[in-house]
Amino acid sequence: MIRAWLLFLYLLLLSVAAPAAPLEIRKSLARITNTAQEPNYRIPWLPGATGGGSGTGWVVSKDRLMTNAHVVSNARFLTVEKENDPKKYIATVEHIAHDCDLALLKFEDPSFFENTQPLAIGGIPELETTVSVFGYPIGGDRLSVTRGVVSRVDFRTYSHSVVDSHLSIQIDAAINPGNSGGPVLQDGKVVGVAFQGYSGDVAQNVGYMIPTPVIHHFLRDASDGRYDRYMDLSIGTFPLLNPAQRRALGLPSDDRGVMVSSVQSAGSSAGVLEVGDVILAIDGLPVSSDGMVELEGERVQMVEVAERKFLHDGVKLEILRAGKGKNVEVKFDRAFPYTMQANAYEQQPAYILFGGLLFQPLSRNLAAAYQFQSPRVDYYFDFFVTRELYKKHPEVIVLSALLPDALNTYLNEFREGIVESINGTPIKTLKGMAEELAKTPEFYVIEFVGTNRPLVLERKAVEAARERIHKRYNVVDDQNLGETPPVTVAGN
Amino acid sequence: MRLRILAFVSITAFASAAEQPQGQPSPAGQPPAAGQPSVPLPPAPSPPAPGKPSAPAQPGEQPAVPLPPGSPPSQPSVPPGSAQPGVPKSPGAASGATAAAAPVPVKAEDAPRVVRVNVTTQAWDFSRPWGKRAPFTRRAVGAILPGKRVLVSAELVANANYLEFESAEGSNRTPASVLAVDYESNLALLKGDDDEFLTSFKPLDLTEAKVGDTLHIWQLETTGVVLATQGPMTIAEVSRYAMDDSSFLVYRATAALQFRDSSFNLPVLKEGKLVGMLVRYDNPSNSAEIVPSPVIEHFLKDAEQQPYEGFPRTGIVYSPTRDPQLRRFVGLAGKHTGGVLVTDLVKDSPAEQAGIKKGDVVLALDGQAIDQDGHYLDPTYGKLSFTHLVSTRRFHGDTVKLKLLRNGEVSEAEIKVSHRDVASYVIEPYVLDRAPKFFILGGLVLQELSRQYLKEFGKDWEKRAPQELVYFDRYQSDLFKSGPRKLVILNRVLPMASTVGYEELHHLVVQKINGIALQSLEDVPNALANAADGIHKLEFDSEPRVIFLDARTIAAEEAALVQNYRLPATKRLGD
Repeated sequence: MIRAWLLFLYLLLLSVAAPAAPLEIRKSLARITNTAQEPNYRIPWLPGATGGGSGTGWVVSKDRLMTNAHVVSNARFLTVEKENDPKKYIATVEHIAHDCDLALLKFEDPSFFENTQPLAIGGIPELETTVSVFGYPIGGDRLSVTRGVVSRVDFRTYSHSVVDSHLSIQIDAAINPGNSGGPVLQDGKVVGVAFQGYSGDVAQNVGYMIPTPVIHHFLRDASDGRYDRYMDLSIGTFPLLNPAQRRALGLPSDDRGVMVSSVQSAGSSAGVLEVGDVILAIDGLPVSSDGMVELEGERVQMVEVAERKFLHDGVKLEILRAGKGKNVEVKFDRAFPYTMQANAYEQQPAYILFGGLLFQPLSRNLAAAYQFQSPRVDYYFDFFVTRELYKKHPEVIVLSALLPDALNTYLNEFREGIVESINGTPIKTLKGMAEELAKTPEFYVIEFVGTNRPLVLERKAVEAARERIHKRYNVVDDQNLGETPPVTVAGN
Repeated sequence: MRLRILAFVSITAFASAAEQPQGQPSPAGQPPAAGQPSVPLPPAPSPPAPGKPSAPAQPGEQPAVPLPPGSPPSQPSVPPGSAQPGVPKSPGAASGATAAAAPVPVKAEDAPRVVRVNVTTQAWDFSRPWGKRAPFTRRAVGAILPGKRVLVSAELVANANYLEFESAEGSNRTPASVLAVDYESNLALLKGDDDEFLTSFKPLDLTEAKVGDTLHIWQLETTGVVLATQGPMTIAEVSRYAMDDSSFLVYRATAALQFRDSSFNLPVLKEGKLVGMLVRYDNPSNSAEIVPSPVIEHFLKDAEQQPYEGFPRTGIVYSPTRDPQLRRFVGLAGKHTGGVLVTDLVKDSPAEQAGIKKGDVVLALDGQAIDQDGHYLDPTYGKLSFTHLVSTRRFHGDTVKLKLLRNGEVSEAEIKVSHRDVASYVIEPYVLDRAPKFFILGGLVLQELSRQYLKEFGKDWEKRAPQELVYFDRYQSDLFKSGPRKLVILNRVLPMASTVGYEELHHLVVQKINGIALQSLEDVPNALANAADGIHKLEFDSEPRVIFLDARTIAAEEAALVQNYRLPATKRLGD
């Protein structure tokens, strides 16, 4: 009886102490202003247009501010302001994760963190429970609070890279431009980072936050001084619901097992898993025939297990191969080549300008800038991974534009062609192409994928035209081979 | 649904990204930033037909639709025999005729040299290959030729159920039938079942026209009066025809045509003689596309004997040599003017068999010198693609003589040219007057891929049809050099008990059944006989790669499958 009473009192105290009052929250929030430079893929020797915007950040530790990657992408100069502090502090990006839209900022001036309070990170909130979103969205200049409930917990595409999907929590609290990067709180703890949503004319009251497992994964990955990115099994799976299929694969008629339907040869499962293998368990967790496992009391997709892994970790799989049971381990030891299809940041466009012909490696950014018409370029982009086109073309080099000159005036028909070889040497990367073009044959014979029409350039003519073309088109450098690491932000 | 990244109070536009499933995004359609140069003209498509250069996309060249007669394909069929007064104008059909170019009635004694041709068409539904689409009727004006025969376009009679001739004023009709049809040149020759029907009509003679000549496009008023719209012939060139895979001579004229009934195709005359058949008209540019008399003559001559053979080709794929750097590279500089570079040869083509090689330069054909762009000088038409000398001046089985440059030496070669059979394509460019083949295996609908199949996705099929299949069709000449003969695809699944778990599968290429590689749909029954332990194994060239079906369940369910989905048949193979 007394125990129950004490318990009640305890809960009462908790409930009173729990929600962080807006006054307290102010010590943990900041408004981030980003002056960014967007690369220009059509005139890649120029620095690109300056733009920018603002978002929200929150104190995650005694000397770090967390926000979304997309708030600080392509940043040239970052300033951060705290509540009740007139000063503008200069920040730099310490870690940025484009695959899960998170970033950590640090400050040259340690006084930024004076009078700040790091926020504690909580767990996954229950459906229909209340959450509050704090930040600096449009509609005013000062701290804003909106409140709603947890609507859905699901695996969703993160728009920032557009190729990555992770756990994502949908809430109906208003999330607006400027909220990005800001904390979503429940009982005084961070349960998510507000990051994307739908505009009102598409769906109402649908906003998304990055949940704490993803936040923890990011922090842990970055804790060794380098962000390695999410690991990936790099396989396709197919549910095993058809009785004939189960029989043919040697399975009983229960609800366990998914079939491996593809194995990416550049991925971590290559050499370990084969098409036709049946995955029965992952890290000891039984896999049901629709690809779900039970993880911490929740039924989630099998991929969640891989989501929790880091570089050099492994995952154990219990499989059936040709009717025989086997135990295998996939080690996450390599990067996967699908980043070509992802939105790219912190990069100046790679290119080679030769004879007024502009060659660039195919990427999502390039395709967005040019809106290519060629079905072949579309195909090489869309099926780069699923058809393993990266094996023959690790970089798909496209003749994206021509700067008209007498030298190349008859060569327009080759635009949007994909380079296959130069003087008989297969071209796999831009660097390889630069090496080939640095040689000095009488003619450069460039062959394109799928056609036997050669594009012929005479070395003498190319050299004679170089100055003329550079001057006419204001070209500064005639190549950027894209080897430089992500650009560091000024102010450091 | 579009997901917007709501981060910035942004000076630049919001970064918006289309939601895509992981691993297979297509390029996000982001509008170019302000101040960017406009997108240059699209590149020339890869050479489709052997011996024909890839035609660069011409600005403003629209594949205009023939003047519709007021009953578009989606409408129910007009019962034959009903007059069509007051047919509502089809959208966009009315052209803005100026007073100066107004059509005029033709002198009474020149008519009647034409007859109305009404055709009720019913195409097969390639997406549900056991049935046909709704029938519809199109009406055109046909040219009467000697021998009581009538010339119309092939498009008019494709998949025809019922054809008839109707006198110009609409009072008299007789059924008709097709004597010969050529879809590549878009021509068809008809004759009436009642031989007497055309007795009182006067046939038209054929003649050629040149750029600058005044042409008369004939239409019919409901009363039977012929209305002639005149305009100058502006272009004579070799250009791609409707079936997309062949190019022939075409006449282009400018005339302000007005909408009239029965205008699916129209005869075009000069000084009272037939110069061609109008098959396309573009309203905004008032531009008429006409299948010209040299092509018609070839068609008619060929049709005199059975079997009809078709327009021949060499199988040479070539590149112009205008660029001086290319000329120096292949050794053409200084010594020779003109010539085209052989860049590829169609597999098993006449040119390949004659020993023509990649890297050869074709300098002349049948004594006619070929310039750097692939043109010879025609006495009537001026500069014209040399392919005309092969396709239209020669017949299937004829021999052409080539003057070649190979490794700096000039030599002669002979090619016995032939028509390329549509069945020789892995993915056929058209399947007309033929029922689509199919095989339903327990609910899995298997078919052969053809462009006709892809066109079921509508006018915009190149964007709407499964992109991989569009890619395979477009580049089949370089993708399938070592087989298979045809691509067998799983169109869709009609759910039954035997197909549980597979309902979502569609548009997959089936490579093998029970370990047997499929060269065409005909191989399926044989492959099914090879089942191990009563289980069929199907292998695809993409995910899920392999599925299994229970042969016994399939057999037990066949009657239910037919009944549930009201299938008239579960297969249709070979003719």
